[in-house]
Amino acid sequence: MKAFRTLFQTECKLSLRGLDMFIFAICMPIIVFILLGIIYKDKPAFDGAGYTFVEQSFGAVSTIAICAGGVMGLPLVVSDYRKKHILKRFKVTPASPVLILAVQLSIYALYSFASLILVYAAGAIFFGFHLNGSILTFLAAYLLVMISMFSIGLLVGGIAPDIKTASAAASILYFPMLIFSGATLPYEIMPPALQKFSDIMPLTQGIKLLKAAALGSPVKESAVPVFFMIAIAILCTALSLRFFRWE
Amino acid sequence: MEFTIKAEKLTKSYGSLKALDQFDLSVGRGEIFGLLGSNGAGKSTALECILGTRKPDFGTSVILGMNPCKDRKKLFERVGVQFQETSYQDKIRVSELCEVTASLYRKPRDPKLLLHQFGLSDKFKVMVNDLSGGQKQRLFIVLALIPDPEVIFLDELTTGLDVRARRDVWNRILKLKEDGLTVLLTSHFMDEVEMLCDKIMILKNGKTVFEGTVKEAILNSPYDQLEDAYFYFTEEEKENESI
Repeated sequence: MKAFRTLFQTECKLSLRGLDMFIFAICMPIIVFILLGIIYKDKPAFDGAGYTFVEQSFGAVSTIAICAGGVMGLPLVVSDYRKKHILKRFKVTPASPVLILAVQLSIYALYSFASLILVYAAGAIFFGFHLNGSILTFLAAYLLVMISMFSIGLLVGGIAPDIKTASAAASILYFPMLIFSGATLPYEIMPPALQKFSDIMPLTQGIKLLKAAALGSPVKESAVPVFFMIAIAILCTALSLRFFRWE
Repeated sequence: MEFTIKAEKLTKSYGSLKALDQFDLSVGRGEIFGLLGSNGAGKSTALECILGTRKPDFGTSVILGMNPCKDRKKLFERVGVQFQETSYQDKIRVSELCEVTASLYRKPRDPKLLLHQFGLSDKFKVMVNDLSGGQKQRLFIVLALIPDPEVIFLDELTTGLDVRARRDVWNRILKLKEDGLTVLLTSHFMDEVEMLCDKIMILKNGKTVFEGTVKEAILNSPYDQLEDAYFYFTEEEKENESI
């Protein structure tokens, strides 16, 4: 526990010194949400909808941090620490390289939850936003999306032979998901063809789930995304366990 | 006799290249043992197979009576390791790297005291990246000593150090030896080996071509300098086959 705490504090400091996560996981979601608020004000999501466009977008914007941490931050840090032999160094201590992975996962989880709270606060302060659905359901859904996305990142970082490959794979996953899954550009305003393409991305399904949870839609409607998220998490975790390269 | 480090028949190939062939090694408690050989002779592979960070194709290794893979957690409370390659996070400070390392052990030594002993007291708050090569090297020795180990593995102990720092590090190691520390090191410097090592082993293409004391190495060659003897063992093909 002492080791985890010390390592967690130090790795947090290192991560903040890097600034990228602060910009992409903390600042960016707040800016996007405020922009959406300014553009759409209290317009309903569609004619006759019982909720506003902004309310509908909350679930999507809250995943920006998950996406940044899971498919960009995690793969890069894992492949970097392997390249630098930091994982190997942990093998010749009483701790294990799993410890530093656990610390990294916790840090990205912390970024995600911090971002969630800040986006919510920004919405509440600037345009009186509040969650229609149950907070617990939303948090459970958020956690599920996080686990699912982080498992993708861990797999990419774990099997990429070097940092270049990890970074290329991370970019291929991160940028399309950030733009076309609805996290930044709202899904609802995309042309139907683009929506179809968007639907195959894991994050799109996650966002559908979070939107439903945020708006308090019936649970049944979210069966497909829930199944999708769980399947991805299991698949990626299993593949990571099998193929993870420590060196 | 009880050996602190004991390796038997360690063999490791990378593809068709035999990096280590039937490697046997016994290091007694309180001994300083030196592994010599040119780059690529198999020194690092030998260290890694002994430590269990690389899986040998064949053979066993025991440190302090324990299997380095099965008893990893218990064993590495008592073993310090300094690898040749750099292994630290970007943007980390000396103090942070030391604290993190200390947090991994149950009874760590005070990093500040060790940094002082290795002439790094004023570098506590400095970024590891901003240290000179020699300072980094000393820092890695400090990290290997933080667990207050009974055995220490040092891969290229003084590479990059200036003459003064080398001498200081040697004296530190000799002092630790007096307290019963067992050392397995690799080195390219004959003066260092003569100064420190009770026993040496010379590797060539993964094979052991000599094992014994520095004196014996010289006696078994036609020369009277360790460096000449070293060249004799590592370069002349025919004579080696009989050893």
